[in-house]
Amino acid sequence: MIEARDVAVSIGAKRIISGVDFEARPGEVVAIVGPNGSGKSTLLKALSGDLGFSGRIAFNGRSLADMKPVEAATARAVLPQATTLSFPFTVREVVRLGLLGGRSGALAGEEGRLPERALAKVDLDGFGARFYQELSGGEQQRVQLARVLCQVWAPVLEGRPRYLLLDEPVSSLDIRHQLGIMDIARDFARRGGGVVAILHDLNLAALYAERIYMLHAGRLAAAGLPQDVINDSMLEKVFGCRLKAGAVPLGPMPFVLPQSALS
Amino acid sequence: MSAWLKTARLAAFGLALAAVARPAVAEDATVLPDTSRVVAIGGAVTEIVFALGEQKHLVARDSTGTYPEAAKALPDVGYMRALSPEGVLSVDPTGIIALQGSGPKEAVDVLKKASVPYVEVPETYDNEGILERIRVVGKALGVEDKAAALAAETQAKLKAAEARTAGIDRKKRVLFILSMQGGKIMAAGAHTGADGIVTLAGAANAIEGFSGYKQLSDEAIVTAAPDVILMMDHAGPGVSDDDLFGNAAISQTPAGQARRVIRMDGGYLLGYGPRTADAISDLSKALYGDKAAD
Amino acid sequence: MAVQPVAMSPTDSDAAAGDRSARARFAIVLLGLLLAATMLAGLGTGASNASALDLTYHWLTGGFGDAVSARDRIIIQDIRLPRILLGTLVGASLAVSGAVMQGLFRNPLADPGLIGVSAGAGLGAIVVIVLGATVLGPVLAPLGIYALPLAAFFGGLVTTFILYRVATRRGQTSIATMLLAGIALAAMTGAFSGVLIYLADDRQLRDLTFWGLGSLAGATWQKIGAAAPIMVVALAATPFLARGLNALALGEPTAGHLGVPVQRLKYVSIVAVSAAVGASVAVSGGIGFIGIVVPHLLRLLIGPDNRYLLPASALLGASALLVADAISRTIVAPAELPIGIVTAAVGGPFFLWILLRRRGVLDL
Repeated sequence: MIEARDVAVSIGAKRIISGVDFEARPGEVVAIVGPNGSGKSTLLKALSGDLGFSGRIAFNGRSLADMKPVEAATARAVLPQATTLSFPFTVREVVRLGLLGGRSGALAGEEGRLPERALAKVDLDGFGARFYQELSGGEQQRVQLARVLCQVWAPVLEGRPRYLLLDEPVSSLDIRHQLGIMDIARDFARRGGGVVAILHDLNLAALYAERIYMLHAGRLAAAGLPQDVINDSMLEKVFGCRLKAGAVPLGPMPFVLPQSALS
Repeated sequence: MSAWLKTARLAAFGLALAAVARPAVAEDATVLPDTSRVVAIGGAVTEIVFALGEQKHLVARDSTGTYPEAAKALPDVGYMRALSPEGVLSVDPTGIIALQGSGPKEAVDVLKKASVPYVEVPETYDNEGILERIRVVGKALGVEDKAAALAAETQAKLKAAEARTAGIDRKKRVLFILSMQGGKIMAAGAHTGADGIVTLAGAANAIEGFSGYKQLSDEAIVTAAPDVILMMDHAGPGVSDDDLFGNAAISQTPAGQARRVIRMDGGYLLGYGPRTADAISDLSKALYGDKAAD
Repeated sequence: MAVQPVAMSPTDSDAAAGDRSARARFAIVLLGLLLAATMLAGLGTGASNASALDLTYHWLTGGFGDAVSARDRIIIQDIRLPRILLGTLVGASLAVSGAVMQGLFRNPLADPGLIGVSAGAGLGAIVVIVLGATVLGPVLAPLGIYALPLAAFFGGLVTTFILYRVATRRGQTSIATMLLAGIALAAMTGAFSGVLIYLADDRQLRDLTFWGLGSLAGATWQKIGAAAPIMVVALAATPFLARGLNALALGEPTAGHLGVPVQRLKYVSIVAVSAAVGASVAVSGGIGFIGIVVPHLLRLLIGPDNRYLLPASALLGASALLVADAISRTIVAPAELPIGIVTAAVGGPFFLWILLRRRGVLDL
């Protein structure tokens, strides 16, 4: 479990987030939502170990502040918002970087083919020989996800669950790939791992997350089940616009739901 | 331990190693036992060898050995302070006569180690220096009588050249300009070859207060108030009279207003070799004309 | 938006599509053979006709009786051999340092000069050349011909150290700050050098110019004894940096996420590069282009994976410098062309060609 208590992060003199309590349990997908500038990325960066914080953050009972980079790399993998590359690596070489820590959890003979399997999962089969710099933004994001998956291929290692920390994993993807990626996240959770994902799309969050944390101006506005957190008044307060939340589409605006969510 | 310290220790170790393991080098020679294939390093050395009539011994020279014209036909082993030891050895020398200051030292060490006799010729910017150079080269080549004769002749010429201007009370002020690149004037102060020649020719260096070749400010030029500008002749496009006297600061000087400039060949003027006495005479003639006693 | 790649694409025969390691390993073997060949060829090349084969023959038949073979022995043992060894070490150091710098700054155009080592080494050299005969005479006299290399080496270390301290706050080194501070430092050392150049006389200016152009001509066994341990230790440290530098390409945070100790990586890289380049510049003056062109070319051929790029750079850098040295020793024989001229004359147009070919794939 990832446990965060009373976490506050300041950059310089500016307080970005404060008083945040957060939990991500194995077997769950947890979504972090909120308007731009509410501190979502900052919270995720604190959980990733990138930023100094006050309060306590622990992975499977072990304090994050005590963990060395190698230890943290075994416990969690992080997908950043965007990654630029200055050198002509092939897609396979980039994905293979996920195996750097050496603790993917795959069986001994399997590691050699792991990049191919990860690429197949993110629907980039056969892309191994392409150059990363030539791909579109969405394709690059999926390559990074494949790398992240290689890093924590086994959702549970030596009895301890591992976590995917995803910063806007689907922002530049078309709807088919959006759903594909979220399916991967759900599958990872079902197999014993934990997923924390920052999402802009409230519908996607509602569909896939077991719990949602809603941030507003650096503080936690709401936390709980999607149907409890996503309601008209909370949405208006946090996002500053009038939204209609409901189980079925209402009014003249089109409201898209995937077939799988209706069943 | 920090990596800085580790590296520093390594360096110290390396230095200690180097200090202990110095190569044994032969002493300088004064006479070349075999003068069949000699390499002359230094323009003055080459010039003296030719002046002694011993050029048949030469098989190579350095890039500063450009006088007389015949010297240019010899293979060039490079700049005298950046010699390539293998290059020098490739001409199969039986002896080397080199002006003081030739190098780098590692190259000279290797040449000595290769058992090639090495004679060093001292370098000073005065009359006695010129004569000493002639004697040293002559001794190296085993023609001390010829050298003595040449030295005596040169000494007489130098004395005569100096005597020419001995009676002059008011010394002309000379400004030696090395270059005028981009309007910046590089002039010769004290302790330069140019300063020495100007003095020997019975004139005074208009510049006081610094040594070496330095860039002069406009004010300094006007304050110096030279009577004559002295410049070197360049092979390519030099500075024309119009360019020179068009310079604002120079036009304010006595030299500028009288449009007085003397141009002489650089190697001739500043070579400090057998021809120097003639150069001094020519310069004093150009400066004082008939006033210089003949 | 996809641009046609002009780098060589991995072929179907690679173990897995996109895996260039087999090709890279093969290339390293070839480069090793190339280096061996270049070293032998270098030993047999020179302004004179001294022949290594003859020398070996004389050695075996036990006779150095005549003067010619004795002279040849000096040429091969005391001139060419130290030069070949020094050229190998310097070429390898410059090329590997370039590759490490490019990995550290995440920029294919980075070179060791960015961490200040060249500026400091140059300043050290200028101080000795200009002040060595006068003001610093008594201090430097006992060091003899080692004054210049030592001053250059420690000058390089000092400036790198200063730059590192400026850029490191609370245990974290900011590469961006290092870059900018390096510009400021270069300006300051430039000003100081300028003053010394102003004070220099003709002869010193000439010496300075020749030093700046670089040369392996001063190679002696003593210098190798002093510089080689430093360069070898620094080079030996680099394979351990390879994986970390690979991960660094994705950005510092991501490298950290993958378990790379980023700060330690930066520190060791900077120390290794400043030691290797400092020692190289100290014994051979300013030689350019090897650090940029060699890694760049290799990336096109075998990819940017540092596990192969670093050793390949060492091998190719050494070979390239030996070839340049052979040219510098023979092209104006019996004189010698400073090696920096050869590397610039060949490296410059070559680099331009590489850039023009790759336009569009690289964000320049």
